[in-house]
Amino acid sequence: MDHEAVVRQKMTERYLLNELDSEIRDEFEEHYFDCTDCADDVKAGALFVEQSKIELAADLKPAAVTRPVMVPTPPKAGWLAALHSIFRPAIAAPVMLLLFAVIGYQNLVTYPHLQQALSTPQVLPWASVNVGTYGSEAPAVVIKQGQSFLLFVRIPPEGTYTSYTAELRNPAGRSEGSFAIPVTAEQKAAGQDQWPIQISGANRTPGSYTLSVRGLTAAGDSKEVGQASFELQILK
Amino acid sequence: MLHCQPLPDPRGPFLQFDSFDEAYVERLRTGDFRTQEHFGSYFSKLIHVKLRSRLQSREAVEDVRQETFVRFYAALRDGKILHPERLGSFVNSVCNNVLLEHYRASARQTPLDEDDDQNQIPALDMNLLDVLTAKEMAKKVREILEEMPERDRRLLREIFLEERDKDQVCHDFGVDREYLRVLLHRAKQSFKALYLKNNDAPEFNTA
Repeated sequence: MDHEAVVRQKMTERYLLNELDSEIRDEFEEHYFDCTDCADDVKAGALFVEQSKIELAADLKPAAVTRPVMVPTPPKAGWLAALHSIFRPAIAAPVMLLLFAVIGYQNLVTYPHLQQALSTPQVLPWASVNVGTYGSEAPAVVIKQGQSFLLFVRIPPEGTYTSYTAELRNPAGRSEGSFAIPVTAEQKAAGQDQWPIQISGANRTPGSYTLSVRGLTAAGDSKEVGQASFELQILK
Repeated sequence: MLHCQPLPDPRGPFLQFDSFDEAYVERLRTGDFRTQEHFGSYFSKLIHVKLRSRLQSREAVEDVRQETFVRFYAALRDGKILHPERLGSFVNSVCNNVLLEHYRASARQTPLDEDDDQNQIPALDMNLLDVLTAKEMAKKVREILEEMPERDRRLLREIFLEERDKDQVCHDFGVDREYLRVLLHRAKQSFKALYLKNNDAPEFNTA
């Protein structure tokens, strides 16, 4: 990577803002590990970002503290007296009854429904994506809030790889974890090129997700195979 | 080039670093303390920056960093540093290999939706001088932020702190992505002079 181009294109800022795709990011890292000017730039920038988070968070705290809040004056009695009052039969008996009602409802209604739902086959939302296919449109997958979904990931068959690793990035470009895709000898012999991957829908945000796949050889070398994107839509 | 200059420093001769070369690698190989200290500090910071968006826990970052150094010194002993001027690239490639092995080892145990609240850069052990330096740099960051218009401060808060989608934030503030880069570039340049003055300072404690 050419140093002048790095400066001109503000690669450090793009890197710190997580704007680079994985290939360019790797190239930039190789550059700044060798280039002391860029290394200083990256280290100073990363420190600034980290410290800014602390300072900006501190900005918010005084507002929360100084906001006027109407607080009733607590009674002068000690904590023991307060604890004692909680256990008075007038309070404890209805609370116990309510507790028994909740436990009974869970055992008689909620858990049987959950068990039935778990043992019943379900059709999950899915999408099929092609890794490393340029210009292909990102397919959409529509889920309910928190619902899991399936990705059928098609990876071009390549004889030299013994496994793959895939990294999922959210719409903001942040990594949401990586996972291995092992390739058995039987799968390789059968020419399998599609892998079903179940992805949890918990805590997902709608938007465009990217899956980056790297191939690993038996010697431990790795190479980027390609990327695939899909559009996650969440029904309200 | 690594120079020894007879400056009055209580910690001994002052080392000024420009770039990596054969003499630097030779000093590392012979166990020169100052050079090893510089090497460890220089690449620890770079490795932390590299790993912060890739690994989800400070323990994992620390494991990969330490394993990278172990393998580097093994390669150094075995005479595998063939291009001293590209020492940084070599360290980066060792780190990449360790990282891939870490992914493979932990992939089966790491669910995709694992909480990543703990992706903080680990704090290094600090002495009094380091603490004072960190405080000085924290003060400088505070000054830079205070000099910004309120809108720019809010923009950074939503990007860095609340981690909102950048396109959406830029749309809400009526700016484009280039504005964000220039804003960060200017802030970083203001901060960099102080950073370079305290180049041996530790990372901030972000815990």
